[in-house]
Amino acid sequence: MKISDLLKLSTDNLKRRKGRTILTVLGVIIGTCSIIMMMSIGEAINKSNEDMINNMGDLTQITVYNYSGNPDQEPITDDVIAQFQAMEDVKIATPLYQSEYLNSIVVKGGNSGRYEWSGWVGNNIVGMYREAIAEYGYELIDGRYPEKNDKEFTVLAGEYAGYEFINPKRQWPHNRVDAYPDENGVIADPFVDVTKDKLVMQATSYEEDGKTVEKNIKVVGTVKEDWNKGYETYGGFIMDMEDLIELEEEYIKANKIRVNNKGKGREYSTAVVKVTDVKKVEGVIAAIEDMGYNTSSPTNWLDDLEQQSRTIQLILGGLGSIAMLVAAISIANTMTMAIYERRKEIGIMKVLGCEVKHIRAMFLTESAGIGFFGGIVGLVICYGLSFLLNYLATYVLGGGYMVDGVMQKTYISIIPLWLAVLGVGFSTLVGVISGYIPANKAVKISALTAIKNE
Amino acid sequence: MIKVENLRKVYKVGTEKVVALNNINLEIEKGEFCCIVGTSGSGKSTLLNQLAGLEKPTKGTVTVNGEVVSKMSEKELAIFRQNNLGFIFQSYNLMPTLTAVENVAFPLVFKGVDKKVRDKKARAILKEMQMGDRMNHKPTELSGGQQQRVGIARAFVGKPAVIFADEPTGNLDSKTTEQVMDMLMDISEKNNITFVMVTHDPELAKKAKRVITIVDGNIVHDSKYDNKGDKNEE
Repeated sequence: MKISDLLKLSTDNLKRRKGRTILTVLGVIIGTCSIIMMMSIGEAINKSNEDMINNMGDLTQITVYNYSGNPDQEPITDDVIAQFQAMEDVKIATPLYQSEYLNSIVVKGGNSGRYEWSGWVGNNIVGMYREAIAEYGYELIDGRYPEKNDKEFTVLAGEYAGYEFINPKRQWPHNRVDAYPDENGVIADPFVDVTKDKLVMQATSYEEDGKTVEKNIKVVGTVKEDWNKGYETYGGFIMDMEDLIELEEEYIKANKIRVNNKGKGREYSTAVVKVTDVKKVEGVIAAIEDMGYNTSSPTNWLDDLEQQSRTIQLILGGLGSIAMLVAAISIANTMTMAIYERRKEIGIMKVLGCEVKHIRAMFLTESAGIGFFGGIVGLVICYGLSFLLNYLATYVLGGGYMVDGVMQKTYISIIPLWLAVLGVGFSTLVGVISGYIPANKAVKISALTAIKNE
Repeated sequence: MIKVENLRKVYKVGTEKVVALNNINLEIEKGEFCCIVGTSGSGKSTLLNQLAGLEKPTKGTVTVNGEVVSKMSEKELAIFRQNNLGFIFQSYNLMPTLTAVENVAFPLVFKGVDKKVRDKKARAILKEMQMGDRMNHKPTELSGGQQQRVGIARAFVGKPAVIFADEPTGNLDSKTTEQVMDMLMDISEKNNITFVMVTHDPELAKKAKRVITIVDGNIVHDSKYDNKGDKNEE
């Protein structure tokens, strides 16, 4: 028996009992819809979690802190960082310099230093090993990284650092230029062109008779704005840690500050370790924590959230399955009825030489057809529902927000291709399984039924 | 062509045993047109079922076209029926969803014959039976006589070695009965097909070349006639 004949026979039989077929298919539609919709809601939760994690920062980055409960813990020193660096899968390890003695740093620029930028070390000004700057993952828009033989303080500037300079002689909001387009859609030039204008970095003192120390700095490159890295990529400066330390030492000397830790060597409060691959992060974290240091990494959250959303998806899918179970029972009922009504036909087919396996295949095709058709219609309805839900959430309930003039949608339901395929596949499978016992019953009907006059 | 040896069939009805066929020995030649006659409950239908392999015997063997039907598995029987047997039913037993052509071609579907080929065969045989204008009608749109002609065409379409018929004219009026009988005999003879038919009507049986009479599960008469309808032997 050919497959085309089998399909025709089965569809003819389904068409013959239209009313009953439609009612059974309706059950499958409801079942499929409930499963797909529930799963799609789980998917949307998953996606929003992923978005959240991605906004939390660089997934390959581990921050190491100096503090721990143990007073005998070795502080983070250059030696310790060298040990981190030596670990397998570590791309780069560097301190993030935090200054104990420097106060506010001011950068003067523009026309005879009229405009001022201000910030703090470790915050708006990032200092790290010079060799680490290139490896850290900053994306250069133009220029180069600071080099060893640079004579002055060479630094990288954030993409919009120029806009962070203000005119101290004027009142807000006239003291600054926005990096955003005005009502005419024009972005004004900043007060200072950081790559061209002469810039002077000053370490200021809060004391009345405090002395200010200054150094010329030169911007040799601009990095692309990247909030996974931090503010420095937007409006700050990135520089060789040694330059900052030089500034700090001159400041200490000028203001005659007493330093207590002489002879102990440098200690850092924070270090950053970048790992070659997200998958290796866990192992590196374990190795660092074995050494007694506290760490933090966005991947800590990732695992928890993934676990959580998987659980939610399972629960939602389980709820949806209840409707599918009812649909399966309904298919089994329909098939049992159909077989009971067609006992004589089955007998005739046997007398005419139809093999048992083809009779089974015919009924399984019918029940699979109910499942498949219900799955397809259910899927179409799900796409409609999903679109409607997302539309309502975005435009009616106000979950959407504008970014660069484009509406960012809020997703309540996402149906990826795999879910669509899985949904229809599952409903077809449910059809086959529900039809299995009735079909095996059909197979046992004797050929004699054809002869008996009932 | 057909050989029956020591065939016995006993049904259990509750705790009682009912002997449907006692001890049947029978041989039917190739191309013979043979009628099994008997009253209701005589065992004639049971005998037909045994010959066609629809039921297993309690004892004895049935050999059709050289193969022991009574020992075949269900799968073997299905293949055997596809290749060797045709069947005509009293109540026509057409598939209600199929047209006349599709019904006639239906047994060929199980053999895996191409749709074009089998439809062509079915059309040819329907035309031969003066059903050319009813090809694409469903069974419900046909009269009893027309339905039975479709049923007969279905039995012949595969050019089987043997055709079994269970009261093929049982539901037809006398005029149609006459036509159908003549048609059956005509086509069987033309194609040299062995034809075994069960009927309760002795008048109808007289048309056949051989009449086997069954009473209470035993063959009581086995008569052969020549073409003119005269009795030859008993």
